[in-house]
Amino acid sequence: MRDVVVLGAGMHPWGKFESKSVTALCRDAVSAALADAGVAWREVEAVAAASSRFSGGKGWGLSGNDVVEDLGSTGVPVYNLSAGCAAGGNAFAIGRLLVASGAHDLVVVVGGEKLPKGFIQTSGVEDLNDPEYLRQLCVGMPGPAFWAFLARRRMEEHGTTERDFAAVAVKAHQVGKHNPNARFRKEFTLEEVLASPLVADPLHLYEICPVSDGAAAVVLASAERARRHTSRPIRVAASAVATARFGDGIPRGLASVVPDGPTLHSEAARAVREALETAGVGPRDVDLVELQDNTVYYELAFPEEWGLVEPGESERMVAAGETLPTGRLPINPSGGFLCFGEATTAQGLFQICELTAQLRGECGPRQVPDARIGLAQTLGLGGNGTAVVLSR
Amino acid sequence: MAQDATGGTPVVEGLFAQTADGPRLLGSRCSGCGTPYFPRASVCNHPECPGGTLESAAFGPAGTLWSWAVQNYPPPPPARYDEPYSPYTLGLVDLAEGLRVLARLRSADPARLRAGMAVSLVLAPLCRDASRGELLTWQFEPA
Ligand SMILES: [Zn+2]
Repeated sequence: MRDVVVLGAGMHPWGKFESKSVTALCRDAVSAALADAGVAWREVEAVAAASSRFSGGKGWGLSGNDVVEDLGSTGVPVYNLSAGCAAGGNAFAIGRLLVASGAHDLVVVVGGEKLPKGFIQTSGVEDLNDPEYLRQLCVGMPGPAFWAFLARRRMEEHGTTERDFAAVAVKAHQVGKHNPNARFRKEFTLEEVLASPLVADPLHLYEICPVSDGAAAVVLASAERARRHTSRPIRVAASAVATARFGDGIPRGLASVVPDGPTLHSEAARAVREALETAGVGPRDVDLVELQDNTVYYELAFPEEWGLVEPGESERMVAAGETLPTGRLPINPSGGFLCFGEATTAQGLFQICELTAQLRGECGPRQVPDARIGLAQTLGLGGNGTAVVLSR
Repeated sequence: MAQDATGGTPVVEGLFAQTADGPRLLGSRCSGCGTPYFPRASVCNHPECPGGTLESAAFGPAGTLWSWAVQNYPPPPPARYDEPYSPYTLGLVDLAEGLRVLARLRSADPARLRAGMAVSLVLAPLCRDASRGELLTWQFEPA
């Protein structure tokens, strides 16, 4: 396998863009990534696209085909990858393989989304054989309640308080306000977070991410090809994909088996461990993390589950400012999903854009000082987990 | 039927039953590795299963509460509820048979719930349906 670098990265800002198509959002993101890389569209040899089931001109998740047609039908191969909210990370992994294998020298990876209003609904199929339909019909448990279960369990196990959760949201907006691509750029006090409506007790509105529109893209190149363009490449040290392990304790339908031990989110843990191992990076070597914070809970739980910090240590770290860009383990210096909202298929690529900018030292007031190694992670419907390590 | 049965109709057939010993969830168990499934399953998904057949099994009523959440806003379809909406409590319950089951929690003040507390299976009203009358589903309440 050959060394692969992120040669260019580009984003469309996150928000609600009623008058713009998802293809138009992707055009802006890809154009920005190409300009950043210093290459022309006609030089691109293949496209890996995080495929949306919510939007896109052709429907059927042919997001990559829409992008290619819009930018100019050069006849390049397109890979449309579907993995729920992990699709961006998944497409990135395929794009990296296309270059690492020697099949292509220049590959664009893109994800873009325009989401319907309200919280994401995962099914829509009226079929009693569909576990999601059965669950909603018989019990009624929308997504935020799922996060509330996890948050409540943490409160019982670790003594986490509602103020501990709120502190994560406060910190997210403290850094996210400096990100011009973020949708919500306003600071909140702890009291304001706690006064926001309870969506699914114990979680408040400001502690979960809403849905957004957005697009992000990267240009991947072989290290050799990249030498023509830059002397300071951002290296893809690892890109891992995993699925959930049987019986990891989170029911995906009406029930699961009771697990032997604490093994929640096994798909994320496995992807992260594999990525760190492949990159030859220890937990203490990671300079910053972009993780999937659909809710504040994940920012406390994930670093512990991945061995980056000791179990039960996260609340203290947030309180002490150790997860700020200037802290011991900066988490989501972009502002994360809490400040962006979730444009599902684009999320994995927005994380890569942030890591790239951080490793280049381009982030101004939210810059992690002397960042050398960054970790990104996504988690998607169906038990999909991805992780990426970038280094300079 | 027991005191919680109101003569209603199961929201979906084949998921639960009122037996001589009380309410039970209807599922399967693998003869090869013992893995329990709810609802009924036709194949075993355990990656280390030596191979077996899936046999009918009934689960409950005793369980312990793993976690809970309050559904503070009206859920989107196909979830069902009576108007006007009032928030309900959801639970993840670990059954003695090794199943972690999702359910509504009934007669429970959320402030008094604790992880590990004993709960017990009941068949209880979900909502009134214009054509089918009272719909029943499986729920748990503090034991
Ligand atoms: Zn088995």
